Amino acid sequence: MLFTVLSLALGSGGLAAMPVPAEATTVFADRIYTAAGDVIENGMVVITDGKISAIGVAPNGERKEGELHVAAITPGMVDLSSRNTNMQTVEETTEVSAQYHVADSLDLFDRSWGRQLKSGVTTVVANPYDNNCIGGFSIALKTGGEPSLEARTVKADVALRGSFGSQPSGKNHPARRRPTDFYSRRPTTRMGVEWVWRKSMYDALYAEGNKDRAFDGVEQLLAALNGEVPVFAQAWATQDIRTAVFLKEEMAKEGKTKMRLIIDAGAEAWRELDFLTRTGTAVVLPPFASDGRTFDNAFYARDCAAKLHGAGVPIALSAHNDSSPGHSLGDQAAFARSGGLSFDAALEAVTISPARIMGIDRRVGSIEVGKDGDLVLWNGTPFELTSSVVGVVLEGELVVDPR
Amino acid sequence: MKNQTLRTLAQIAVATSLATASIAATAAQTNTDGNVVVKAGKVITLTGETIENGTIVIEGGRVTAVGKDIKYPWDAEVKEFPNAVAFPGFVEGLSNNGMDRANENIDVAAFLNVKDSIDPVSFYFEDALRAGITTINVQQGKDCVVGGRGYVVRPHGLTVERMTLRPDSGIVISAVPKRGKTRATQALALRQAFGGLRMYLEELVQEKKDGKDYATREALYQGREPDKDSVKGRPMGGNSWKVENLQMVPRWEIDEKQLPMLEVVEGKVPVYLYCDEPADVHTALKLANDNGFAKRTVLVLGPECWKAADLIAKSAMPVILTGSMKWTERDPVTGEETETFVPGVYAEKGIVFALQSGNSSAESLWYQAALCIGQGMSREAAMAAVTTIPAKIMGLEKRIGTIAPGSDGNVVIFSGDPLSVTSHVVKVFLDGNEVYDRATDTRMKHLSTGAQPANTASSAELIEEVHKHDDPVVEEEEKIDAGENKKDKDKGEHEEGDGHDHDDDKDGHHEGDGHDHDGDKQGN
Repeated sequence: MLFTVLSLALGSGGLAAMPVPAEATTVFADRIYTAAGDVIENGMVVITDGKISAIGVAPNGERKEGELHVAAITPGMVDLSSRNTNMQTVEETTEVSAQYHVADSLDLFDRSWGRQLKSGVTTVVANPYDNNCIGGFSIALKTGGEPSLEARTVKADVALRGSFGSQPSGKNHPARRRPTDFYSRRPTTRMGVEWVWRKSMYDALYAEGNKDRAFDGVEQLLAALNGEVPVFAQAWATQDIRTAVFLKEEMAKEGKTKMRLIIDAGAEAWRELDFLTRTGTAVVLPPFASDGRTFDNAFYARDCAAKLHGAGVPIALSAHNDSSPGHSLGDQAAFARSGGLSFDAALEAVTISPARIMGIDRRVGSIEVGKDGDLVLWNGTPFELTSSVVGVVLEGELVVDPR
Repeated sequence: MKNQTLRTLAQIAVATSLATASIAATAAQTNTDGNVVVKAGKVITLTGETIENGTIVIEGGRVTAVGKDIKYPWDAEVKEFPNAVAFPGFVEGLSNNGMDRANENIDVAAFLNVKDSIDPVSFYFEDALRAGITTINVQQGKDCVVGGRGYVVRPHGLTVERMTLRPDSGIVISAVPKRGKTRATQALALRQAFGGLRMYLEELVQEKKDGKDYATREALYQGREPDKDSVKGRPMGGNSWKVENLQMVPRWEIDEKQLPMLEVVEGKVPVYLYCDEPADVHTALKLANDNGFAKRTVLVLGPECWKAADLIAKSAMPVILTGSMKWTERDPVTGEETETFVPGVYAEKGIVFALQSGNSSAESLWYQAALCIGQGMSREAAMAAVTTIPAKIMGLEKRIGTIAPGSDGNVVIFSGDPLSVTSHVVKVFLDGNEVYDRATDTRMKHLSTGAQPANTASSAELIEEVHKHDDPVVEEEEKIDAGENKKDKDKGEHEEGDGHDHDDDKDGHHEGDGHDHDGDKQGN
């Protein structure tokens, strides 16, 4: 075993060179972007039993045959809006289905998990499909490993998912023509969607003090109102973002001051910096759109991520289940950079920031000792289109080998 | 009467001189004489050298000198970009954009010309400048058997004539089944097109032999007139098949539908031959060989055609790659997915290839080249595929794709590395004239920051006005109402007329779940 103690490592946070252990996964790189505040030049990461056990400067000397050495390493990326769930993942017989868990309807054998993994996304939050106002509980899980929920779950019931805007009412219509259809119902408009949200929240508030008024899903709604789980709501356009934020403020006036709100796909969030900062709302951004046009006619300015970051709004980027070259999560970070987001902020927006937003940062999101051994290996500087993900390590296992 | 005529003439003369004067004044202001000296922190010439702190001298629209510390006329207008990169600009080897419609309904339509379809004020050309593209080969689309002739243009100018770099730059033939055709009927239609040409020409010769003047009369009837190149007949050129005694027929008498086809067979015009699937490649190569235009053929390939790479390599034809760079295929039995990086296959086989950027400005040529590098291709090869190679395919390598003495005065100023996602186009010079300036590009400003031009529906001032009501001291209920109402109004104007109708319930058109969202980016 190579056991070379080196002179002091300069310029890398005082990390000393260290020996390479035998029974572990060790990856070397010209640069390691830890997303924990430092960049290690000529570094190495050691993973033992699935967890990162050591990070440091690689020993000098000849590279050994078969040694895994890449241009750059970042933490495994985290996508909070994985969007590989489909219509089968939301119970559409009712508009509010807070008592359901998307975990029960996930197909872990679906190919999209593997594609996401290959593109460097190691952790995702899978959400109920946004055809309901309040769809149910989301789950944070790994994109690879043994295909069982037990093995893959990072955190169950990580957020209560819902949706504003035109999507939840999209299928509904007034009771005309075919009144027997269960889509002949409310809401059929944006305001109807908002009404359903508000009504379910007030119903939950009344039920809290009065057991007779309990209904299916009341516990889950109360958990969200009491801040035990965040509310994770899709709202693309400015009017929908406002609706969500106003609802949060309204609940605060009713005494539910701990309610947490995360906006998903907030394309137009750049218009609402004041609202977002004053309510401490986090925003997950949709994929880049070259002409700025996104769902619900929301205009997605290219500097959206940069503006939000500048205002102190916690942000995360998302690829919406597109893992093709030029569209994957790493590329979203690149496009956010083109809109003025700094490299460090772009790195955080696909790693530690989403992990913090969802409260899973103890396990994932950065390269730190004790965290999951999830790494992305790059053939050049990350978040440039001229570089790509060449390897992926998931909990210590080299699932995509760059060699 | 005479007096009046004279007066009118005098008026015209005055008007003309005034017009001339005003044009001259404009010219002086905007520098349209094609003389400029560009200095940049870095000059990427693409002739093999990159010059730090380089100078490019452009006179009369052409580059006359490029280098470090070179001399230029004392009175030259100098534009300095000490922190930016000068670059010859990307070359779009083939595009179906910038036209009214890219396809005609007729199978064999060699008489068509994209000149009549190019729209100089199309957003596409404006976007091309923004993406650093300086030359575009506009060709008809692939929904044809034999299509029209294309034009090589610069993405700037108010008329097609002003934009044109090379007219009649090639003709389109498609091995891809035209809508409504199968592969077999398409192949048949292709054979018939050339067979039909041969029969037509033989008939013409026979009529001449018989002393009939049908062709002359038809030509006159159609309003065609001979010019010095067409007044005489010539023996048929080309090396595959020939019609004897074609010199008996003056060229101007040959029908407009058939003449371009004859030029194809004679090997006089480049042919852009579309193939979508590997099976098309065989049809295409056979057609080109049988009709003698193989040496003038450029294959325009869909992503799956990599499977025919050996065949293509043997043909030695240059190729233009369209569509996705990654070909994903699932094994029908095992279900296993395999991915192929398409340009990589061509590079490996030594095939000369150019990249093409389709119709999305987000996936422009810089993006294509950058992705190739990400997938492991050398920077030189990837860069060549979007600059010098398409230029060479068009036969314009001396004029475009590089910055060298004699080349067109096209310079794109990038804020950094042209292939970096963080770089942007600062300025573009075409033929020595400044045609794009990011600082005054309001559309770019809107895309990047959401800023609206002043006095439009959702300009910043109006949004400010809305936000006045966000003040937290306002009573809560009121605040919500005021904010929302005002916002809705604003939004309503913004959305007006874009066809996104959310209240179509009222007209009772609802069928089941028939609520379609245009621009739905939801996936799944």
